[in-house]
Amino acid sequence: MSTRTSATPATSTPRLSRVGQRGVYLTIRITGVMLAVLALGHYGLTHIVNDVAETGSTFVTRRWSSGLWIVWDALLLGSALLHAMAGMANVIRDHRPDARSAGRWIAIGAGGTIVLFIIGVATLTYSIIGTS
Amino acid sequence: MTTAQLVFLSAFTAVNVAIVASVVMVVREARRVDGGALWSRTLLWRLGRLPSERTEANRLAFYAHRVTGIAIFAFLALHIIDVSLFAISASIYDDVHDLYGTVIMRLFECGLLFALLFHALNGLRLIAIDAWDLGSAAATKILNVVVVVSLLATLAGSIVILRPVVAA
Repeated sequence: MSTRTSATPATSTPRLSRVGQRGVYLTIRITGVMLAVLALGHYGLTHIVNDVAETGSTFVTRRWSSGLWIVWDALLLGSALLHAMAGMANVIRDHRPDARSAGRWIAIGAGGTIVLFIIGVATLTYSIIGTS
Repeated sequence: MTTAQLVFLSAFTAVNVAIVASVVMVVREARRVDGGALWSRTLLWRLGRLPSERTEANRLAFYAHRVTGIAIFAFLALHIIDVSLFAISASIYDDVHDLYGTVIMRLFECGLLFALLFHALNGLRLIAIDAWDLGSAAATKILNVVVVVSLLATLAGSIVILRPVVAA
C-alpha cells in the first residue's frame, strides 16, 4: 500500500464533457449487447459448430452467398470496431493522465481503427462482387 | 512455409506481445494507483479478506475485463487483415487459414474463447448493475456466476476445439 498515490489525475480540468462521456459509455453498452450475440455467434459457428480447419475459402464463399451472413458480418465489423474504439479511448484516458498525450493516443487509436474498418468493408464488398 | 504464412505468424507473435504488454501495463498501473498488483507480497493479506470486503473481486474483474478487451482487439486487428486476403486471393487466404488448425493456434483459440466469454458475460453484468441499480452483494454473486459459466463453457468448447488434434 506504500506506493499508493493520489487517485486524482494531474490535470483537474475535465477532458471530456459529461455528455461526451455518457455518449462513449452508451456506445460501449449498446454495441456490447450486440456483440454478445454477434461475436459469440461468429465464434460458435467457426469453432464449435464447424471445425476451424474446415472454414477455409470455400466455407467463406458459401457463407457470403447468403444475405444474412453478409449483414451479420457487417454488423459485427462495425459494432466491434466502435466498441473497441470507445473502450480504447477509456483505457487511454485512465493510463495517460495528461490530457494532451491522451488526446494524441486516442487519435492514433481511432485512426488505426478506421483503417481496419475500411479494410473490413473493402473485403466484404470485393468478396461479394467477386462471387456474384 | 509460404511468405503469407510467415507474415501471419509474425503478426500473430505481435498480437501475443500486445496481450502480454497489456497485462504488464494494467498490473503496473494497479500497483501505482490502486493498492498493489495481484501478485505482490500483499497477496496473502488479500486472500485473507472477508466476504464482506466484496469490492476486491469487482476490482479484479475490472482488470480482467480490461486485459481481455485489449487481447480481443489485438486479435481482431490481425483477423480483419487475414480475412482481407480472401478478397485478394483465395489460395493465399487458405495458406494462412491453414495455420488456424495448428495446435498452437487452437490453444490460442481456447484462450480467445475464455476472453470472449468472460468479457461478454462480465459486460452484461456491468449493464445489469446499472440498469437495475444492483448493490455490491448482488454484483458479486453475479460475478461468481460469470466466472464459473465462463470457465465451464471454455472447458466444454476447448474439448470440441482440441479434439481433432488430440485424436490425430
